[in-house]
Amino acid sequence: MYALLVNSGLSTEAVALLPRIETLVVVLFFGLFAMSFDFISGYTGYLSFGHAAFYGTGAYVVALAANGKLPLLGPETPFMLLLVFAGVAAAVLALAIGSVSFRLSGVYFAMITLGFSQVLYVFVRNWDFVSSAPRDGVAVTGTLEGFRIGVPGVDGWNVAIGQLTGDSIEGLFGFINLSPTEVSFYAVGAVVLVCYLAMQRLVHSPFGRTLIAIRENEERARAIGYNTYAYKLGAFVASGFFAGIAGALFVGFRRSVTPENGFYFLVAGDALLVSIIGGFGTLAGPLYGELFNAGVREFLSKEGGGGGLLPYLRANVGDATLTTELYNGLTVAEAIETFLNGHAALYVGLLFVLFVLYVPNGLLGTVRDRMGGTLATAVPRRVRRWLGE
Amino acid sequence: MASLAPAGPALPLQFADALIEFLSPSTLADVIVRGIAKASLYVMIAAGLTLVFGLMGVLNFAHGSLTMLGAYLGGLVLVAAVAQSTGGVGRLLAFGVAVVVAFGALAALGGGIEVGLVRPIYDRPPLYQILLTFGVTLVLDELARIVVLFYGLQPTTVWQDVLGTKPTFLADSIGVTGVSASGLELFQILFGVATVVGVHLFLTRTRYGLFVRAGSEDSEMLSALGVDVNRVFTVVFALGTGIAGAAGVLLAWDPAWGASVPLAAETLLPAFVVVIVGGLGTFRGTVVAALIVGLVDSSMTWWFQNFVDFTGLPEMVVFLVLVITLIVKPQGLYGVSEVGGH
Repeated sequence: MYALLVNSGLSTEAVALLPRIETLVVVLFFGLFAMSFDFISGYTGYLSFGHAAFYGTGAYVVALAANGKLPLLGPETPFMLLLVFAGVAAAVLALAIGSVSFRLSGVYFAMITLGFSQVLYVFVRNWDFVSSAPRDGVAVTGTLEGFRIGVPGVDGWNVAIGQLTGDSIEGLFGFINLSPTEVSFYAVGAVVLVCYLAMQRLVHSPFGRTLIAIRENEERARAIGYNTYAYKLGAFVASGFFAGIAGALFVGFRRSVTPENGFYFLVAGDALLVSIIGGFGTLAGPLYGELFNAGVREFLSKEGGGGGLLPYLRANVGDATLTTELYNGLTVAEAIETFLNGHAALYVGLLFVLFVLYVPNGLLGTVRDRMGGTLATAVPRRVRRWLGE
Repeated sequence: MASLAPAGPALPLQFADALIEFLSPSTLADVIVRGIAKASLYVMIAAGLTLVFGLMGVLNFAHGSLTMLGAYLGGLVLVAAVAQSTGGVGRLLAFGVAVVVAFGALAALGGGIEVGLVRPIYDRPPLYQILLTFGVTLVLDELARIVVLFYGLQPTTVWQDVLGTKPTFLADSIGVTGVSASGLELFQILFGVATVVGVHLFLTRTRYGLFVRAGSEDSEMLSALGVDVNRVFTVVFALGTGIAGAAGVLLAWDPAWGASVPLAAETLLPAFVVVIVGGLGTFRGTVVAALIVGLVDSSMTWWFQNFVDFTGLPEMVVFLVLVITLIVKPQGLYGVSEVGGH
């Protein structure tokens, strides 16, 4: 698709508009994190503002294991196993945090989870065991090989992921050629898909229905006889597990993690942001939200490597326009630099406010409302009606 | 100390030494003065947050960003004013002007945010107010970053110029009967006490304060009595953000904080800790919690400097205070089970 558009007549516009494949990998694993956040917050209504703790735990488990710093998990441990360990570690942490936090509700719950995650953040930031400069985070130095996704132990069924260390595939089925990043995209995507389906299964089970009942009216759910505490805790642990996997995938692809992009509370803030834009309380929504968020950020990114608005404007807007004075000596070129250069957060933030005010159901939620059901049920119904049945 | 055996088995002994040193009157007094100075900063940052939450039940995530704007705005006034006059008293006056300017500008901004953004969503679940103010934070921070970059106010994090506008006597340390405190710390304590007294008087002695206290109990009843509740909300929101702005100006003079864009997150988190530990929405709780957090912070700083080899100790313990308080007393020290009157 991408190749088709880039090579078409609209190539310049396509390069500028479409996110690059590197960004799409980020969309996948961060989308999974946002989904896990939405799984607890969107479905039970408990705002887990410290969710970054689980993401960071997963990320650090993989980074430390790959550097040979964890007992029992050497650098040789298969990545698939590390994924599970990262998830389990995060789930155990979620059990510990959740068992205390779910005695509270509302704002207090948001604050105690925030408190726990900040304790961990400050701790990791200053703990010289993780690396010689803990503030700068951990880079994977223990192994030069890429992390392999596939069936552990069967070499032929494994592909390495990572920007520089990944495998490339040539001539699969005779005609499929994939660059290392594209391989990572599909491999990470497969893991994310499995996790998504698992969460989807949970949401549509009686367990998931109970969570929604808790969100809508917790007292009534308790009155019917549900042990709401156990249900919330169970959901929190499951959510922590998937957040841990998301963090593990993040390190698997990027090969480094810092306290700022792993444990800091604004990481959970980003998950919140994309959940709202995508649709709070819809499992797939956060993925679209993150796609949107990453797309906008890349579109307005500083260097615009391979795409983005800035190079497009620089290349295609005439010099006469660029040097025109707008206001008080501010030229168009300067205005572009000032307001567009890497300040995507401004526009994403504005958009976020507008969404909260006017589109509280988010992209996917609104589409569902319009269609009158989930897409999987509504689209065939529409098509059938359209075909005159 | 030198005669002791090196690390390892001697550690308990060193701990005992450190404990004795810590408990000596001069160290304790020192730590307490520092703690109260920190508490003054915390209470300044948190007072506005607790006012807004107490009346409206809105947890204002943008509070840190408003503090940050106050720091920049106050800093601009200070730098401009010091170019005019240099004497110590003149600089204190300039500080007063900066506080008034920051208070006024941010109160106006806060009032605007309340009327334009928060008011339309009062009838939604409280979650949405958190979300909305979180979005406002993103926008304000990024706007501040754009302006700062565009005018080249600072290439790095701390805007050093503002620190230079302090009167020299604030930088000196003043010794009273063996306890030494820097002039700046005494100034902060003075400022914090003045704010606490001011807010307390506002709440207990003015007609508006009466509305606020009544409104946080039952805002429907208040409006039934003929009070324009919407206007009370706007005024309190403006007042809360104004105090945040004034706090920002105070922080701009402190070398440990200074004016910078990350100040938004750096002040937001301690403000949350103080407000939650005290019990959301109670002003008395906020003052007590600020004292606790300030004293914990200053004593942990002492332990870090003298015994514990862990840079993040004070910060981590502050968050542990939050977590432990919520575990032991889920409503905070003075909190009531139901907050937010509407």
